[in-house]
Amino acid sequence: MNKLYLFAALFLLVNIIAGLFRVLRGPTSIDRMLAAQLFGTTGVAIIVLLAEALAIPELHDVGLVFALLSAISTVAFVKMSYAQKEGSDVSD
Amino acid sequence: MIEFAMDITLVISLLWLAWLLLAAQDMFKAIILFIIFGLFMALVWARLNAPDVALAEAAIGSGLSGALLLASLRRSGESGAGNEQRAGGLEPGSGITPGSATLNITHRLLTVLIIGLAGTLVWAAWVMPPQHSGLTEQVTARMQRSGVSNPVTAVLLNFRGYDTLLEIGVLLLALICVRSLGALPQFLTLRPPGMVLMAFTRLLVPFMVLVAGYLLWAGAHAPGGAFQGGAVLAAAGVLLLLADIGLLQSCPERLLRALAALGFTVFLLVASMMLQASGQILNYTPARAGAWILLIESAALISIALILVLLFSGGRFEKGRVPAQERDPVQ
Repeated sequence: MNKLYLFAALFLLVNIIAGLFRVLRGPTSIDRMLAAQLFGTTGVAIIVLLAEALAIPELHDVGLVFALLSAISTVAFVKMSYAQKEGSDVSD
Repeated sequence: MIEFAMDITLVISLLWLAWLLLAAQDMFKAIILFIIFGLFMALVWARLNAPDVALAEAAIGSGLSGALLLASLRRSGESGAGNEQRAGGLEPGSGITPGSATLNITHRLLTVLIIGLAGTLVWAAWVMPPQHSGLTEQVTARMQRSGVSNPVTAVLLNFRGYDTLLEIGVLLLALICVRSLGALPQFLTLRPPGMVLMAFTRLLVPFMVLVAGYLLWAGAHAPGGAFQGGAVLAAAGVLLLLADIGLLQSCPERLLRALAALGFTVFLLVASMMLQASGQILNYTPARAGAWILLIESAALISIALILVLLFSGGRFEKGRVPAQERDPVQ
């Protein structure tokens, strides 16, 4: 069972690495931000799988904190992008 | 076999990410890569059987730093006078363009310093005895007297409490420095927050406060503590600011200052009391050690959270903004 968990974790990790393509290519900031946002979700899954596979129950708390905080950057990004749009409207 | 594949994938991608983010010309891309780097770092700590560090990395490295860095980028984009710099906030192509002569010297100096540091680290790892367990034995032997059952908390708040005292002092100093810069440009939009953000905030903020309290309490026997809890509480505060709920803005200035200094003050008071009683700084009596640690950590949690939120919003909360509820409702 532990092997299966580890394999699933590795598979998700490879998924993140494949997704890095979107971060590197862009082309817009939104693509990059959304990719990072989705990595947060995958990251929680990897951490919870590692908690089971390595028998470290404390890692569940790490997953909890990750799940709570990974959306903050995205919310900040959206608010700031709107602010910028409004700012450029004024300057135009 | 599968463990090895996991480890090698983590190590290679961590190094690759580090290189990508250092080499990124575009500041926004570098920030995104830094957030992802934090995620990988947390995974590495988890794999190394260090859940305490993984928790700190998840809370501070990956979670809050992203929002802090984005806020800094937005500010640096706006503080420039020219239109190009103004547009350069969040779009590709922004960033610091390297100058020539002065930067070259700095580069060379940095290269020498980094090679020196790397060499020292390699040398230190080389001369270390293979079965060296560090200070583990000394810590385990004194756990009974520490007042807590989590060795990491015992080291941070009891055996090496002096270091943690100074760390909280550094955080307070950072806030004072940022505040001394005067009014920094604000970047938040005047547009009222949408339904999604409001619902998200209403759902998440109470839960974040709960988890912050849980992490503080758990710190005595499991991974957790004031810094991790403080980062989660700070995220709740950042969310309140972003959703334009005027709770933090309505706090009187004196109260904010008092709360920001609370952690350092309480820590310092306890330290000087112990100095009076036993002649040694932060030398708790074993029977009361748990209670003292909880008191210090509770005060530190509030200060750390408030300082982080204040750093996000540029040292002070914007006064005179009309909270969302008092403006026109969202269409």
